Parts: sequence; structure tokens; C-alpha cells
Amino acid sequence: MGNLIKVQDMCKIYNPGENEVRALDHVSLEIDQGEFVAIIGHSGSGKSTLMNMLGCLDVPTSGSYYLNGKDVSSLKDNQLSEIRNQEIGFIFQGFNLIANLNAVENVELPLIYRGIGRSERNKMAKEALKKVGLEKRMHHKPSEMSGGQQQRVAIARAIAAEPPVILADEPTGNLDSASTQEIMDILKGLHRGGRSVILITHDSEIAEQAKRVVRILDGKIVEDYYNKEKRKEKAEETGYEK
Amino acid sequence: MGNMIEYVKMAFKNIMANKGRSFLTMLGIIIGISSVIMVMSVGDGTTNAMNSEVADLGTGQISVYCSEEAATEGEWITPEDLTAIGEQVKGVDGATPNDGSSGSTATEKGEFAVQLNGGTEDLQRAVNYNIKRGAYFTSVDVEEGNRVCVITSSDAKRLFGSDDVVGMDIEVTIGDITGSYRIVGVTQQKENGAFVSYTYEGAPVSLDVPYTSFESYGWESDSFYSATIFANDQVSGEKVAKEIVHLLESRHQCAGEEYFQIQSFQDMVQELNDILGIVTTFISCVAAISLIVGGIGVMNIMLVSVTERTREIGIRKSLGAKTSSILMQFLAEAAILTVVGGIIGILLGLLGSVGVCGLMSASMGSTIHPGVKASTILGATLFSCGIGVFFGIYPARKAAKLSPIEALRRN
Repeated sequence: MGNLIKVQDMCKIYNPGENEVRALDHVSLEIDQGEFVAIIGHSGSGKSTLMNMLGCLDVPTSGSYYLNGKDVSSLKDNQLSEIRNQEIGFIFQGFNLIANLNAVENVELPLIYRGIGRSERNKMAKEALKKVGLEKRMHHKPSEMSGGQQQRVAIARAIAAEPPVILADEPTGNLDSASTQEIMDILKGLHRGGRSVILITHDSEIAEQAKRVVRILDGKIVEDYYNKEKRKEKAEETGYEK
Repeated sequence: MGNMIEYVKMAFKNIMANKGRSFLTMLGIIIGISSVIMVMSVGDGTTNAMNSEVADLGTGQISVYCSEEAATEGEWITPEDLTAIGEQVKGVDGATPNDGSSGSTATEKGEFAVQLNGGTEDLQRAVNYNIKRGAYFTSVDVEEGNRVCVITSSDAKRLFGSDDVVGMDIEVTIGDITGSYRIVGVTQQKENGAFVSYTYEGAPVSLDVPYTSFESYGWESDSFYSATIFANDQVSGEKVAKEIVHLLESRHQCAGEEYFQIQSFQDMVQELNDILGIVTTFISCVAAISLIVGGIGVMNIMLVSVTERTREIGIRKSLGAKTSSILMQFLAEAAILTVVGGIIGILLGLLGSVGVCGLMSASMGSTIHPGVKASTILGATLFSCGIGVFFGIYPARKAAKLSPIEALRRN
């Protein structure tokens, strides 16, 4: 079985010509099924661009991107929509729930676009909400919920359709520390359940909680390590120093 | 596209979430549709009412008149022509020359202008009057040129204060000659509609007299500029008219010179209808402009809605909504607004036309039923749907084309 995500030599250039901005500069990256990866970088490092590429929200200027074995780097708008719907579950920093829909209806959205029937859809959405512990908030509107609860609805929306990849863009950026831990626990749980989770963040403490960390700077990957090994190294280093 | 029901539901939800705004948007369409329907129904109703009244009055009447060329050639319609028409043309019940004069008379009640309508005994067919007292003058009166007259009941009351006037004389002065006409009959006006009532205060007293009676005032009565032929219902007016012209032309030996012109009553009614139709169409066009303005209102609101909901569009797209899904959702919204507005407009338009026709009926003393045609309603509905789609497409496309990243970035 190949990689879940295989990015090769990917470039993204904005404003080609004189004032061109190389947001991604020959990035290559492989992520396997079931991994929990944190992509970490400062603002402007290109991590959001990478996330847009991974999430099929945009197409790269050059390079290839295989998602679940399919080359998605040159797909048209409508095909990208389909890929997003089938393969990716998004979790955003700003929750991005639709204000006039309640929790269940929000979770149902990707299922509607997938063409799943009403009762089936409803069942799946409720299931997903139960998984994030919101069975008592099913018919609340986003404005009637706390930030942490809203983000949990967003997670439920991301997992309802059981996509192979969960892509979380600064999911805890707008949350207090208690809610942050709550969300991280859910993500870890998803990972333990066998899902691939990609977390984009600028916070190294959050990144610590992932299995693998990819550090990006000026559009290039500068570091790619597993936390376990890093910790071991660190322990050895410090031990050695001591 | 299979998810049309879902898009309609989404659209409906959004409309319900902005009730006030949605209603105001619909208002333009409501006013437009209801005014178009109202104008057209009232217009058609008026035309129908007029037609039925006018039809009572004189179907089968055909006017024959001489053209200018005939006049310069000295070819007029003669009493013999009319007799020949009556005898030779099939379907003709009678004929009378249109002769007339005006004068005045004085009674105890004051001075009155008098309109003398000269004709044969067939003149009684021209108007929808019933004989109330006495009798109409006869062919004998016409042959002998008797000074007898028929007066309407209302005119009799104006002149004498009573309509029991058979046998009384009226002194009629024409120019400087005064002659007396003996009243032989009193007619009662039929129950008439508003459109064909002639009488009004100060109108001349109208007397029907044998055309030959004018001879005693010193006028020739053997040639006329025009005549009225009465055809019965069994024959086509057009055919009778052709035969009349043919007969006249052969009698005057002027075939093909177009000396004699025909105007049938149907023609006149048709002309009247055409004019009314043009007026109705014109007003409808003006009303249709308000429909277009309403449509632009819908477009405007949809554009605002797209801008306002950019983020929502971004979310939907990131979750897998295709360009066509967003397009359908916004189009459905515009379509629902206009269709619901259209339906309300149709109902209001129907109510309004019943109301206006009621008011008109009451004030004119004539019954007008709103002439609601299925085609009008269908047309208005299709038009409002068309407007919804036409003016919805631009904002919907604008929404659908947004890139998800751009849309998500905006707040």
C-alpha cells in the first residue's frame, strides 16, 4: 500500500513575475495512513499554503500531489470539490459553522453534498456528534454554544463522512487552555481510532502532542521528526550533559 | 443536480431566516404582478361589458356611405336603391336613409333644441327602444310625407311633463320655417348600460320622423349621403355588405370605382376593441416596468446576500459543494422569492380587479366582471419565474465562482 499523502517537489508561486512570492519551494512530503502529524511554522512560513494544497483548496504551481493514490495536483474545480468531500475532513481555527443551522444540520452539510439520503444522513450526523460528546447539544445553534463546543461540532462535521484525512488548521487557536486540551484529546482519540490527522499550528506545545512534527520555514521543510525519537535524543543529550 | 430538493430547502431556510428582508424583496414582484393582472383583467372586463351592451344595440347594422368621388360625381344613395337592397339582397330586413336636421321648439317648459332623425319606418330597428304608447310611424307615413314623430318617454316628460302625449303636436322650427309634428308614438328606453346611454341634461330632444316629411320644409328627399341597412342574424354581415356594394355599383354603373363604402357595426365594435386593447396593452407595459424594477430588486438583494454570505459559501465549498451546488442554491433562493411573490401578486391582482370592477360597476351603473384570463395568469407566473431566474443568475454565478480560500479568508 502506498502513502496516503505523497507530495513531490511541490511549488506554489503567487504573483509570478517581478514580485513573485514563493509560498512553497520544492516541498516533498510523505504521510502514511494512520499518522498524527503536526505541521508547524510561523505565520508567513507557508504552512497555510501547504494546508490549502493538502486540503485540495488550491492547486500547486508545479509538482505532484498524490492523495490516497490519486493525482490531485491538476484537477479541475468540480473534481477538487469532490475530493474535498470524499477524502478530507476540515477543522478550522474559526470553527466555520454556518450560523443559522443547528449542530446536526451543520454536521450534515458534507453528507448532503455527498448525496446521502435524509434519514441516513441524520443518523450519521448524530453519531458523529455523540463521538465528540455533544449528544445534548444537537439542536443548538452555534451562537448558543461555547467555543470549545463549536469546535467539537466542527470536528463532528469533519469525521461524519469518515474521510481518510482529518486536516485541522490551528484548531485550538481561538480556544482557552481547557478547551484546547479537550480538542487535542479528541484529535488524539481519532488518531488512536486509526484515522490520519494532520494538524497545522504555530504552537510547539500543541505540536508536541502529535506523533510527528514537520517544521516549515520560508516555504521549505526544515525539520521532520518523530516526537518520541526527539524526546529520546533530548533525554540522551541532557543525560550526556549531566 | 440530483439534490435539487436539498438546495430548495437550504434556500427556503435562508429566506425564512431573513423574513423582513425577503418580504421587502418580494414586494416589488408582488406590486408588479398584481398591477399587471389588475390592469389586464379590468381592461378585458371593460371591453367585454362594452361589447355585450353594444351587441344589444345593433348587431347586423351596416352603414353605407358615399365616398368623396361619388359626391363629386353626384352619385348619391336614392330611396330606390334602398328599396332594391331590401328586395334583392338576401338577409336584409330593412333599410333606412340617414337623414336628419336640427331645429328648436318651445313649450310651457321652455325652449329646447330638437334633433330630427329622418328615416323610413325601419329606423325603429336602429335603436333599442320599446314602444310604450301609440305606435311607430308606418310606411304610409313615409310615402305620404306625413309630419308625424316618435318621441322618447324621457324627452316627452322634459317637453310636457308627462309621457301621455300621443296625438299632441310639437312645433318644430328649422331655420325660419316652423312646422308641427304630431306625436304618434312614445318609446321607452331599454334598460341600458353606462356606455350607450345618450341622454343627458341639455341634450337636444330627439324625434324620429319620416324622412319624406322634410319635403314640407322645402328639401329634396331623394338622395342621401348615407344609409343604414339592417341585416338579420342568419347571414354574415360581410357577405351582405359585399352584395350591397355590388348592387349599388351596378345600379349606378360605377363598378370598381369605390363610390360606396361600407362600415358594418361589427367593424366599429372591432375598432373600439382595438383601441381599448392598445390602451390596456400600454398600461400593462407600464405595469410590466415595475415588474422589471422588482426583478432588479431581487438581484440587488441576492448580490448583497452573496457578499454577506461569502464565508458561508467558502465553508460549503470546502466541505465539497460544487460550483453547480452553490449556483442552484442561490438560484433557488431567487426563484422562491419571485415565485412566492408572484403567487401573492396574482391573488392580490385578482382581488384588486374584483374590487376595481365593483367600484366601476357601482359608479357607472353598469355591470363589469373582471375579465380574468388563464393566459394572463400563466403569463404573469411565467414572467415572474423568468425574472427570478434571469436576475438570479448573475449573483448566483458570482457566489458559485468564489474560490474557497478567498471566501474563507473574508469575514
